[in-house]
Order: sequence, then structure tokens, then C-alpha cells
Amino acid sequence: MPELKVLLPNLMRRLPEFWKACGDTLLMEVWSGAIIFVFGLIFGIILTVTKPGGIMENRPIYQVLDKIINLFRSIPFIILLTALMPLSRAIMGTAIYVRGVIVPLVFGATPFFSRQVESALAQTDKGLVEAALSMGSSPLEVIFRVYLRESLAPIIRAVTITIISLLGLTAMAGAVGAGGLGDFAIRYGHDRNMIDITWVTVIVLVLGVSVVQWLGEFLARKNTH
Amino acid sequence: MIELEHVVKNFHADKNNSIHAVNDVSLKINDGEIFGIIGFSGAGKSTLVRCINLLERPDSGSVKIDGVEMMNLKPRELYKARTKIGMIFQQFNLMPSRTVLQNVAYPLKNMTREQVREKVRELLALVDIPDKENAYPSELSGGQKQRVAIARALANDPNILLCDEATSALDPQTTGAILQLLKDLNKKLGITIVVITHEMEVVKNICRKAAVMHQGKIIETGDVFTIFSDPQHQITRNFVRTTSNLSKIETLINDNSPMVKLKPGELMARLVYIHADVSEPLISYASRAFDVEINIILADVEIVAGAMVGGTVVIFNGPRENINRAIEYYKSKNIRVEIIKDAGTPE
Repeated sequence: MPELKVLLPNLMRRLPEFWKACGDTLLMEVWSGAIIFVFGLIFGIILTVTKPGGIMENRPIYQVLDKIINLFRSIPFIILLTALMPLSRAIMGTAIYVRGVIVPLVFGATPFFSRQVESALAQTDKGLVEAALSMGSSPLEVIFRVYLRESLAPIIRAVTITIISLLGLTAMAGAVGAGGLGDFAIRYGHDRNMIDITWVTVIVLVLGVSVVQWLGEFLARKNTH
Repeated sequence: MIELEHVVKNFHADKNNSIHAVNDVSLKINDGEIFGIIGFSGAGKSTLVRCINLLERPDSGSVKIDGVEMMNLKPRELYKARTKIGMIFQQFNLMPSRTVLQNVAYPLKNMTREQVREKVRELLALVDIPDKENAYPSELSGGQKQRVAIARALANDPNILLCDEATSALDPQTTGAILQLLKDLNKKLGITIVVITHEMEVVKNICRKAAVMHQGKIIETGDVFTIFSDPQHQITRNFVRTTSNLSKIETLINDNSPMVKLKPGELMARLVYIHADVSEPLISYASRAFDVEINIILADVEIVAGAMVGGTVVIFNGPRENINRAIEYYKSKNIRVEIIKDAGTPE
């Protein structure tokens, strides 16, 4: 398409690199997202059930987890990226490329998602929990059959928000050697002033966010009665 | 049989403040009984009923159900024991993401899909909403929601049903229908029902025995009829008064209504039936036998626990000795006579 070559001269000359950047961003999202989902869900549940008045009230566990989450949430991501480099090397074998940035992404977004899950579960009516206990449910059953099931819609919304904020983190991670769209936009769009690359990156990200948002809202609605 | 002995439950608001929600309560509820626990809000009745299925674990005391000490059960045993104690709530507490069928099926375990479906249908027929199994709770009225909640509470064929203000969020007509359902279930299934309420109407309607709770203690307990006809404690009297028209006479007197103006020689009294048998024509008999006019100002007689409760407010007119003889006669017939106002003997 000759028109595109005129309109987006720099991008069209670097198409393969652009596709790879898109792929890298997706890869970072999927890998770190999956890990964050599992850990965040577990921590969110632990916070909910161990907090004062919870069904498995446990002050020490709640206090420790609560403080750790606050600690990691208060560290700016760009600092976390460099601070966790040794850990990243120890676990993943490298501190660069997609592999090297999974660890800081997980540490950066899990606390956020845990809090999101905690507040999603907090919306569960206390009466439902009480009713389930009165019917002979064990605390574990209450977690799976009441908390998770009944707050499916808010949890889906929490996932949506986390995926979107994770996209912001992957762009930042790109700047320190992870690759991906953030890195692509900064290297060409910013450093070499190739304005068309900046714009296309923005459009791709906006589209991605919109799709995630739309899908999340669709699923959340489907699970609300 | 439910036996509570010296049950104590405190809540700690902060380090220095603790609230005695349940303060040394002992109670015995027999099998097949409909037992009412009545009290103003904050009296501790909701906490007390949760001490029965240990949703609240008492700080001390003993909770025995059919002779088994609940406080000594291991967690697994406790969960199992709870399946035999149904509970319904003021806010129904149905799971909004589940259909009626799924809600009622929640406590059912170790059954095939078909068995579950059959059991749920049976239960929904029992509570008289057979056509709602695929509806979501948000599509139901309050009365229907409570019926689903009752079906769910009965899913494991419990021996006991605890009702925590189960009708307080419902309108009077629906309340009546739900109470009737509870009465029918008690008869049909022989299930023991414990009713927590702040409404005397509810107790009057379905309970045979009741306890009055105030500030964490049980201040009066016994037959509902006795509690109604002869309340011992001031709090109980207040409760009874909320359902009786006879107390309106005080308002009339305070308002100086012409209805309650006495002529000289007249005497106004409240006649309250204490004994369960008031089939005799007490007013007309006394009027003829002692030659006094007896004018009925207010009357309120109700059926409580299958017997009549209530009385009348009357004005006696006639020679004072005749009036006194009529009053003596009433007292001999087990009627409590309270003089409200006396215009004195005419000069």
C-alpha cells in the first residue's frame, strides 16, 4: 500500500521490528498477568478472611501481609525495576529482555491487584457468608462458593483495571531493556523524532485498552443478576 | 431439645469497654415447640440465637442440642451439626448470582443432579412457590424471597429452624402468610422453631412459649398466654401494651375526651381476663345480678395461643355497694380489675 508508505514512512520501514514490539508487549502482559492473577487472588483472599471480623481472623498474618503490600505499593515502579535486578537474575537467569522483566512486573502489580481483589470481595454481603456458615459450610467452602462466586463481576472488573495498569508498567519496563511497544516508541518516536511511530504506538495501545475494557465490562455484566 | 445453660457472650468495643450481649441466659426449648424470643433491638436476642448454632461462640456456658454439647464439637463435627439447624434471616440472604434452584441446592451434598433437582422441587412445593425455580432472587418479592430462604434452610431436613427477625422486612399481609407457613411446617414436619422478633404480634400469632429478653438477660419466660394475660415485668407490659387497644384509654383521659367524662357516682375500670375461659356472659350477668349499669367504652379480646386474651374498659353506674359487689364477683371469676378513674359517691 503506497499510501501508508507516504503517511507512515518510518513505521513502514520498520514493520518487522514493530510487530516484534507488539508481540513482546503481549508476552509480558500474558506471562506476568497470569502470575499476578494467581498471587493477587490468593493474597486478596487471605487479606479478606484474616482481617478483624473475617471468617478465619488471624491478626499476625493479616498485619504482615497488609504491611508488605503497602511497602511494595509505595515504591515507584522505575525504582523497583532496578532494585529487583539481582532477584531477577537469580530467578530468571537474566535482568533484560522479556524474561528479565517478569519479576519486577509481578512485584509491581501483585500488590495493586491484591488490593483490588480485597475490595471486590469486601462487597460480598456479610449476610451471605453468615447464611453459608449456618448451612454448615466450612471457611474454605465459603471462600470458593460464596466469596469468589458471588463477587465474580467485581473480580472481573479488578482484572480489567489491573491488565490496563500493567500495560503502563510494561512500557516503563521497555525503557530499561525489556523491549516491547514502550521501548519502540521511545527509541524511534522520541529519540529520533519519528512522530508517526509515536502516533501508531498510541493508537495500538488505545485499541488494546479499549478491547480489554469492553471485554471486561461484557463479562462482568453477564455475571450480574 | 435445645438446652442453654448460663450462656454468656461479651463483645469488646475497645480495651476498656465490653458489652454484655448475652448475660447468663439459661433456656430450655422442647422438641416440636414454636418458641418466641422477644425484645427491643439491642436486647441481645440475635446474639442469643446465634449461640444456638455457634455462629457466635459463647464466652462461657453450655449449649446442648439433643443432649450433645455443641461447644465441644470439632470444626468438622460442628459443620455437620449445623446442617441439621436451619436458619432464616431478616434480609433473606439469598445468593444473588444463583437462581432459586441453585440457592436451594446450595446446602445439598453427595447427591446426583437428578436427586438435587427432585429435592429442590419438593422443597419449593412445600413452601408454595413451585414455579420459580429458574428465577433470580432479584426477580422475587420479599415474601417469595423468604419462602426460598425457608426452602433452603429445610434442605437437609433439619430438626430445628432458627428465625432471626424473619418477618421484620415484610409488610403485614406477607408477614401473616409467612407466619402461617411456619406454623404449617411445624405441624407437618414436627420441626422445632425458634422465633426472634421485636414484634409482639409475631409471638402472639405463632408461639406457644416465649421468653422476654432485656439487656442480655431473660426477664420472663413461660406460656405466651400467661405472658400476655398476666405480664410480670414492666418491659413485658410495655410489649403487651403495643398490641392491645386497652391502653388507649390513658390517651383518651389525657386528652380529656368527652367519652371518658364521669358523672358523679360512676367508676371506670379495666377488666382483664387472666383465666383462659371467658365464655360466660360476664357483663350482662353482673349487670342484672347486682343491678348496675355497665357501659363498655373499649373492648379488645384476642386469641393468643388458642385462648382468649384481653379485656374491656367499662364505666359502672349505680349504688356504690352494688358496684363493689360486681367487682368482687369479677375478681372471683379470675378477672383482674384495675380502677382507672373514680368519680366518688354522689352527695
